[in-house]
Amino acid sequence: MKRRTLLLTGTGALGALVVGWGVMPPRSRLGDAHTLPAVDGQVGLNGWIKIASDGAVVLAMNRSEMGQGVHTALSQLVAEELDVPLGRVRLTEAGHDAIYGNIAAFLGNVPFGPRDHERAVFKFSTWITAKVGRELGLNLTGGSSSTADAWDTLRLAAATARAQLLGAAALKHRLPVDELTVKDGTIHHASGPLSHYGELAAQAALTPPGQVRLKDSKQWTQIGRALPRADLAAKVDGSARFGLDVRQQGQVFAAIRHCPMLGGGIGPANVDAVRARPGVLRVVALGPIAGSTAAYAVVARTTWHAREAAKALEVDWQPPPNGRLDSKAILAALEAEARRAHAAGDGFAFLKQGDAAGALAGAATKLEAVYSAPHLAHVTMEPMNCTAQVLDGHVTVWAPTQVPGFARDVAARVAGVAPDKVTVHVTYLGGGFGRRLDIDFVGQAVRVALEMGGLPVQLVWSREEDMTHDFYRPAEVSVLQAGLDAAGKPVALAITGASDAIVPRWAERVLPGLAPTLDLLNRNAFPDGRAPAALLARGDAPDKTASEGLFELPYAIPNARVAHRPTHSGVPVGMWRGVGHSHHAFFKEGFIDELAHAAKADPVAFRFELLEGLPRHQAVLKRAAEAAGWGQPLPEGLARGVAVHESFGSVVAQVVEVTKQDGRPRVKRVVCAIDCGIVVNPGIVVRQMESCIVFGLTAALWGRIDIVDGEVQQKSFPDHPLMTMAQCPVIETHLLPGDGPPTGVGEPGLPPVAPALANAWFALTGDRKRKLPLMSQ
Amino acid sequence: MELKVNGQAMTLPEIASDPAMPLLWALRDGLHLTGTKFGCGIAACGACTVHVDGQATRSCVTPLEACRGKAITTIEGLGSPDHPHALQLAWLAEQVPQCGYCQSGMLMAAAALLAKNKNPSDADIDAAVSNLCRCGTYPRVRAAIKQAAGGLKK
Repeated sequence: MKRRTLLLTGTGALGALVVGWGVMPPRSRLGDAHTLPAVDGQVGLNGWIKIASDGAVVLAMNRSEMGQGVHTALSQLVAEELDVPLGRVRLTEAGHDAIYGNIAAFLGNVPFGPRDHERAVFKFSTWITAKVGRELGLNLTGGSSSTADAWDTLRLAAATARAQLLGAAALKHRLPVDELTVKDGTIHHASGPLSHYGELAAQAALTPPGQVRLKDSKQWTQIGRALPRADLAAKVDGSARFGLDVRQQGQVFAAIRHCPMLGGGIGPANVDAVRARPGVLRVVALGPIAGSTAAYAVVARTTWHAREAAKALEVDWQPPPNGRLDSKAILAALEAEARRAHAAGDGFAFLKQGDAAGALAGAATKLEAVYSAPHLAHVTMEPMNCTAQVLDGHVTVWAPTQVPGFARDVAARVAGVAPDKVTVHVTYLGGGFGRRLDIDFVGQAVRVALEMGGLPVQLVWSREEDMTHDFYRPAEVSVLQAGLDAAGKPVALAITGASDAIVPRWAERVLPGLAPTLDLLNRNAFPDGRAPAALLARGDAPDKTASEGLFELPYAIPNARVAHRPTHSGVPVGMWRGVGHSHHAFFKEGFIDELAHAAKADPVAFRFELLEGLPRHQAVLKRAAEAAGWGQPLPEGLARGVAVHESFGSVVAQVVEVTKQDGRPRVKRVVCAIDCGIVVNPGIVVRQMESCIVFGLTAALWGRIDIVDGEVQQKSFPDHPLMTMAQCPVIETHLLPGDGPPTGVGEPGLPPVAPALANAWFALTGDRKRKLPLMSQ
Repeated sequence: MELKVNGQAMTLPEIASDPAMPLLWALRDGLHLTGTKFGCGIAACGACTVHVDGQATRSCVTPLEACRGKAITTIEGLGSPDHPHALQLAWLAEQVPQCGYCQSGMLMAAAALLAKNKNPSDADIDAAVSNLCRCGTYPRVRAAIKQAAGGLKK
């Protein structure tokens, strides 16, 4: 407890600092009538809602659409409270006001488990974190947080606007406001329709809303409905504009070649010969920008000319100053460190209850296992790209980004202008999965644009550059130990993992200005000097994001210590779909399966009993098991495995059916059950589960990044298989809507699939898999 | 150089007329038909799939010289707002796309399949649609192809 309190003190210090910087109106994220620019006769009612003259609702969209359906889900919240059909909500870019920051993503980093929610320390830390998040106003689409973050804010903004419009109608028509109703954006009275929103907007902007009430859930007509996604028509006729589809007057194109060795440098190159090639305009040397490896960019009149010229570059690549990375050596070092720390009781214990060591020593049955996971690449289908123009001291950026504010900041830093001289347009994202929380490619594009005399330039990474210069999901090795009593009940659990810290590395890249504060936090986190000097010197704080998925232990095991050693291998690491949960669910749910086996218990029944007191966990587990026919016989050659895992506030259980084909696992069916609180759009939730499962199966079966002599070995799809149509199992999803506010959807379906598959494989073959990917063994 | 795209004769700008230039870049950078996507450049992912004389073709490795005199169809020409292709309607009914980036290629591969085979089996679909999707839309792609095929049979 003491350590947690200390962590919070650190956060509190940060909060105090930040509060001093900005003078925000207390608590409000509503903004005002002038937060949004008034264009085309639109009238702003608050920082989120404008009314167009035809009565359409214009919503300031602060989140990036990368396939998760967020533009539709957030529009649905607004359509609901304003009583307009979804098709009457138009989107406009939100801009950079702090009201558009993502508080829910911050709250996702409060390090507590599901059994802590009633504790004062949890409530306090949630409160202070929300305050800090509000003041920082960092806008990011990630952490499966968009709907949770918008839930109160957008409904309140829409309901406030509605109240103002109703008030304006009452004034205009001289009728009591409580005799007025709204239908499809038109105010009605018993006598008939009066005025539509567009006719009332100017007056509404001057009308105080009075007391604003959100609709009761019984009145909802749109929340909870599987409304079709608003962006899909454009995604079936080729008209949707992704980053790579930006086309501006006079636009030129750039290709890039990074030093193949991660963190390496560039030496002399055959620049003159490359510049003489057809269509080539410039060759630009790029130093490291926002965590990137140094590179050359070649600008040409078409992407093809740029790509061909980039291939012709002959560069004297320079080895990285800190040596060439080797993933095999890193995994060996992580295992050695996890074992050492485990034996020494070292590492930061996010969870410490009872006496794990003592209970382990006295246990009737002892188990010990080492689990590991490799580095992973994001592999978005749309490779990294950005279009930038620097003209008359103003920078314009068109970027598929999850962090428009950080994109603006890096553009300003690179161009040497103030942030208000930068305009960022967020396009559709051809996949994000956390890769586009980084802004290296934005900084590079702006750097190249500076050389182009005002021409817009589109920087396009090749697939090979994209795969070999990612910010990878860190590799991890964990030592897991457990003890069962004579009745087969778990009495002790001790886990120590070692993997690279993620958030400190990411923060250095996207928020270099905050680095000193993070350093301060690091020091506060280890005031008793328990952090080894070497770690402190390198600035590695206990990292919740790298540790999550293990310490929030749902299982009732009285004596437990779950610790993590944040390391710093030098591999560029970042946020990957599910982040820490992506591999920790595999460790935890694989090991629990081992305990069930040792206890000679049924894997579902064993878990169910240990989940006593957590009804959401028990309910999804029960539903998935029932729907999958758990306990009923399967045809010869098929077996089932189960896993249940909470992440980003949602609880997901999955049952995988697997068979053996050519000696290898072949997934036939996945049954999924999720509780993600109130469901705004069930269709979107179901499809996100399908997405998570396919993404997670690719990782579980084949996903790996190997680094040899500093170079990533997997270059493109032939070396890095993705699941195909022919390999895709049948997927069946069941929603268990809760009555609490919405929780995460974009990631929580991913973590359980790897362990459910490995557990099924064990049931089929007796071969326990403790290392990912499964196909490498 | 002239190219017949979506039923129209189009003149490529000179910079996009090199016979060695892959069709993908002529479409995207020369004609600004950006619905056809770049995913890998080595015909491994299918995001760039178009029809060349009705055949599903990965345009990132198809040089312009191989397209002379041939009819090119891209996603922009698969249907029209008034007459969408049956697959486009099925795609919306099944709510197939997620990020949407690979979907042009998926649709073009599926359309070439249905043009030849009005009643494809699962194995036919697996063989004809080897396009990669990172978002995992495969189950819905399959369902939408079957739905469209059902409509075509009527």
